[in-house]
Amino acid sequence: MKPISRRSFLERSGTGMAAAAAIPALEAPTFQSRPLPAEERGREIHLKVNGKDHRLEVEDHWTLAEVLRDHLGLTGTRVGCDRGECGACTVLLDGKSLYSCSYLAVWAEGKEISTVEGLAEGTQLDPLQEAFIEHDGPQCGFCTSGQLMSAKALLNSNPNPTEAEARQALAGNICRCSNFNRYLEAVLATSGKGGSRG
Amino acid sequence: MVEELKTVGHSTPRIDGLQRVTGRATYSADVQLPNMLYARVLRSPHPHARILGIDVARALAAPGVKAILTHENCRLVWSSGDRVNKRYLFNNPVRFVGDAVAALAATNRHLAEEALKLIQVEYETLDFVLDAEEALQPGAVEIHPGGNLSPIISFRSTEPGKREPSTYVRGDLEKGFAASDFVFEDRYVSKHVNNAQMEPRVALAHWEGDKLTVWTPTQGIANCHRDIARDLNLALEKVRVVCQYMGGGFGNKNQCQDTDLMAAQLAKETGRPVKLELSRKEDFVCVHGRWPTSQNYKVGVLKDGTLQAIQMRGYSGMGPYRKSGGGISGVEYFRCPNVKTEIYPAYTNMAVSANFRGPPYPQGVFGIASILDHIAHELKIDPVDFYLKNVTRKFRDSIPYTSSGLLECIRQGAKLFEWKKRWHPAGSQQGPIKTGIGLAAGGFGASVGRSSAVLRLDSEGRLWLHVGVTDIGTGAKTTMALIAAEAMGIDMDKVRVISGDTDRTPYSVGESGSRTTSYTGYAIVEAAKDLKQQLAASGPPQGDEVLIAEATPSPRLEGKVRYSFAVHFVEVEVDTELGGVRVLKYLAVHDSGRIINPLTATSQVQGGVIQGLGMALHEELLYDENTGIPLNPGYYGARVMTHVDVPNVEVHFVETEDAYGPFGAKAVGEPPIVPVVGAVANAVFNAIGKRIKELPITRDKIIGAVS
Ligand code: FES
Ligand code: FES
Repeated sequence: MKPISRRSFLERSGTGMAAAAAIPALEAPTFQSRPLPAEERGREIHLKVNGKDHRLEVEDHWTLAEVLRDHLGLTGTRVGCDRGECGACTVLLDGKSLYSCSYLAVWAEGKEISTVEGLAEGTQLDPLQEAFIEHDGPQCGFCTSGQLMSAKALLNSNPNPTEAEARQALAGNICRCSNFNRYLEAVLATSGKGGSRG
Repeated sequence: MVEELKTVGHSTPRIDGLQRVTGRATYSADVQLPNMLYARVLRSPHPHARILGIDVARALAAPGVKAILTHENCRLVWSSGDRVNKRYLFNNPVRFVGDAVAALAATNRHLAEEALKLIQVEYETLDFVLDAEEALQPGAVEIHPGGNLSPIISFRSTEPGKREPSTYVRGDLEKGFAASDFVFEDRYVSKHVNNAQMEPRVALAHWEGDKLTVWTPTQGIANCHRDIARDLNLALEKVRVVCQYMGGGFGNKNQCQDTDLMAAQLAKETGRPVKLELSRKEDFVCVHGRWPTSQNYKVGVLKDGTLQAIQMRGYSGMGPYRKSGGGISGVEYFRCPNVKTEIYPAYTNMAVSANFRGPPYPQGVFGIASILDHIAHELKIDPVDFYLKNVTRKFRDSIPYTSSGLLECIRQGAKLFEWKKRWHPAGSQQGPIKTGIGLAAGGFGASVGRSSAVLRLDSEGRLWLHVGVTDIGTGAKTTMALIAAEAMGIDMDKVRVISGDTDRTPYSVGESGSRTTSYTGYAIVEAAKDLKQQLAASGPPQGDEVLIAEATPSPRLEGKVRYSFAVHFVEVEVDTELGGVRVLKYLAVHDSGRIINPLTATSQVQGGVIQGLGMALHEELLYDENTGIPLNPGYYGARVMTHVDVPNVEVHFVETEDAYGPFGAKAVGEPPIVPVVGAVANAVFNAIGKRIKELPITRDKIIGAVS
């Protein structure tokens, strides 16, 4: 095979290849929230998410998960069941873990919400995130955001949990890839208690 | 022991770990397009009914509704939804609770859900049957014309289409039983359990002119691409399938899903992008789970435990549509001169059953491992010795394996587990809390075959690897990068993986059957050979130049069979008063050839074991026998394993040398679930001295057995 110019190859293989090459930056993705059509008019609320203020119009029955994902573009909060069984949608509300699929957006008025997108500071990962990579926490990764946020809530209130305490705190976060023990290792390693089997 | 390599074989964090822990990984449901509509599906409340009429007028007039599909205006066939019968997107009659009746697109998901309630359907209910053996009784309601025995579709079968049980015979069963000192008979039953992957099914379809793009979670963009093009009667180049990140499937995202086709059709009719989302309950009932089985065994042995004859007659409940084989496997792990297995896959009005990790094995191993453990107990032979004597040396006692670490897995495992020290005769402990140990062996085909890879080396020394994998959680992207780095002799940080998009990657075998490493990984090795020759001939690329190499090898095994093997050892504690079973110690010993990435391979094994524990101890999709309605779809009802249920799982690899696959790597993902249920059932027997013959091994069954 002869060397061919990169340009011609890029054209043949479609666009978007250059984007895949870039090392992903950690700043928030840009997202344009859409104006509500007439049939969806609701009430205006104020949400504080990852330290940023948002004013938006929501309908009373919209869940927090739905607003975060569809209206603020924060899709790192996953929805695995939409009925409070799996924990994929876990976020922090005033520092405590919460299933955002089972909480209405209007209830979050004036409260502080943290999502997985807010864990890293600038380009600096949270120690939990680093440990999750190092200990191979995510297999498919769909439960990962929820595991991270529950772990964060745990370490906020109990910086040195025992293994039993950590398992209990994460009990509401199912991982069907069943990488539970990896997640646990990562949490205990972050808490400075790696390997303790209390 | 395999020779050490530079990159392959060293624990390496996933190359996309950063995206996964920052929430930036884009799963199919995360994609939003301007002007997008949301779709929902109306489903049958009856297990079997004829639709007499559908009135969509009120729903069509509801706010935001743009289009509705029913069997009256949409006759598309979903070909991968049934390999025998014509399965339409919308069927009449409907054949299980959850069968699709209509799909509707509206400007948001709430309006779509509201409008569904306005569709009026008139049903005439029909008799229904839930159990496979009952479905085969004379007089049972026919779910498809021609009866409920589903025909042979096995890949290897010489007579596909015949309405006969799938049968395998070697030797002469009657002679074998006549030559036996003892003959044992028993029956084992396994249940329908759902794959329950965390990411529910979703599909986003978008037409640009006559080109269709579908964002969908799939285990194989190439399969899905082909399926969608075929069912919509489009040329392959008019369809693009994208799946950048994928939230698990364990077999239920192998094929195109009906949702892909419904979204495409609704998008076509409305001229707008359409996103169709399944609820968790729909995902449990309307995609598929593992097929339930009943297995009848008759086994003849000599006094010293040597197997003489094995007969198995089994029934698999496939639900009303035949998506996959329905086999019951496990007998082939044992050498025995006289064998006959007969499997009857039957249509029922339960949820559809098809592939779930290690498809025919966990349930089959439960059966055969249980009866053999029982025989070892009756003959007072230590199970480890029984296994060493009887496990397979050649596939079906005739075809050599390319490599086998099975005996070594048993030996090393027994030592690491301290089997002899922990062993006690079954039921010999006093007091209400008893411990017991058990083992089981199994494996999974590590086939080789056709797949492709494209390598592109630029003047900055970056190696762009184009492979059609989606990475279902196995770490395939990382595995592919490791293989490429090793084959080219470069560092991992020079490798860029382009994957998950049929417009940008060549064909890759679907990520099912533990094939990706052996198939696509091997294509990378072959492409790298070409690239290295080009480098040697023309030197490294300069400026705008790139070097490109492509390979699509179709390796063959030349009269051999290639298998990965697994032997699992478990110790349980059983509370005979409360019925609870707790796993105290678990050791999984695997021969998967060379391990490409010990970090992710260990995670795979741990995950498979824990899924297997759920199947052994908790999970079952229950039905109300009077109404044919599923009672417990969802995580809570299925009682899948959680952080507080899981034991520590020790993983040990016996790395055998194998002449095939990339650097001798064999299958990793499927095998770990295979022996789990059998091993746990045997450990429970060892603890309480009573055998539980029907899954799952729940409290009521333990208490029933000991009282
Ligand atoms: S998505 Fe909220 S608990 Fe499952
Ligand atoms: S990593 Fe797949 S569900 Fe947890």
